[in-house]
Amino acid sequence: MRTALADLLMLPKRQKTALDVQEEMQFHIDMLERKYAQQGTPIAEAKAAALRRFGNLERVKKQCVDISRRNRLLRRVLKAASILIALTGLSIRILSPDLKVAHIGDTLIMVAVAGRLLLYVRGLSPWTFLPRTRETSLSVITDTTEDGART
Amino acid sequence: MANDRTDLMQGTLELLILNTLARESMHGYGIVQRIHEAAEDLLKVEDGSLYPALYRMEERGWIKSEWGLSENNRRAKFYKLTRTGKRKLEAERANWNRISKAVTKILQAT
Repeated sequence: MRTALADLLMLPKRQKTALDVQEEMQFHIDMLERKYAQQGTPIAEAKAAALRRFGNLERVKKQCVDISRRNRLLRRVLKAASILIALTGLSIRILSPDLKVAHIGDTLIMVAVAGRLLLYVRGLSPWTFLPRTRETSLSVITDTTEDGART
Repeated sequence: MANDRTDLMQGTLELLILNTLARESMHGYGIVQRIHEAAEDLLKVEDGSLYPALYRMEERGWIKSEWGLSENNRRAKFYKLTRTGKRKLEAERANWNRISKAVTKILQAT
């Protein structure tokens, strides 16, 4: 129920991400099509060649949306956690008469501030430390006469 | 179609993208074209495969993107290097040179 509600709340943003990805990919395909057409390839053939050259459009779109989504979700969770820790620290700091316990509050506030800073320093994003997945490829062309429009 | 698909070292595409963006901000299509031109079409990046790499690099904070207008007045997403990306490029360049030298030495020795 909660997940369904969360999904519903995130739906417009998810749709926007998907639309942005779609627009970006479409621009690339249109540019390829234009290039082939300028080289004298008939329009229908240029369109087909552009799509072939681009590769699996649906798979690429899904990968990009997934990457954007997981990043956003993680950031949301980390932001919420840092706010919760800060509030806890602040409550302890204000409500505790004992100085030693108040120090725990200070520590929690500092942890929350550091966590928040970590999110702003994008290079220190937790995803940076995850192992890389191999989703890209390069090909070395042995036949230099090959052209995307003709393959 | 005589086309040998060769798996290159992991991180190679990221290095090529970082290097391409070091000069100026570009959209995905421009990045692929620039790589193909620079490699004189001997090395081809699969066009679609570029995007997951770009999204992951943005996620890691190496590049950032913003929507703008392309040369033909169409809305396009432009990518540019961040400070972290510039540092990463330097590190990856040094790493590439080191590995390249090592492999060359091994090949010459055998």
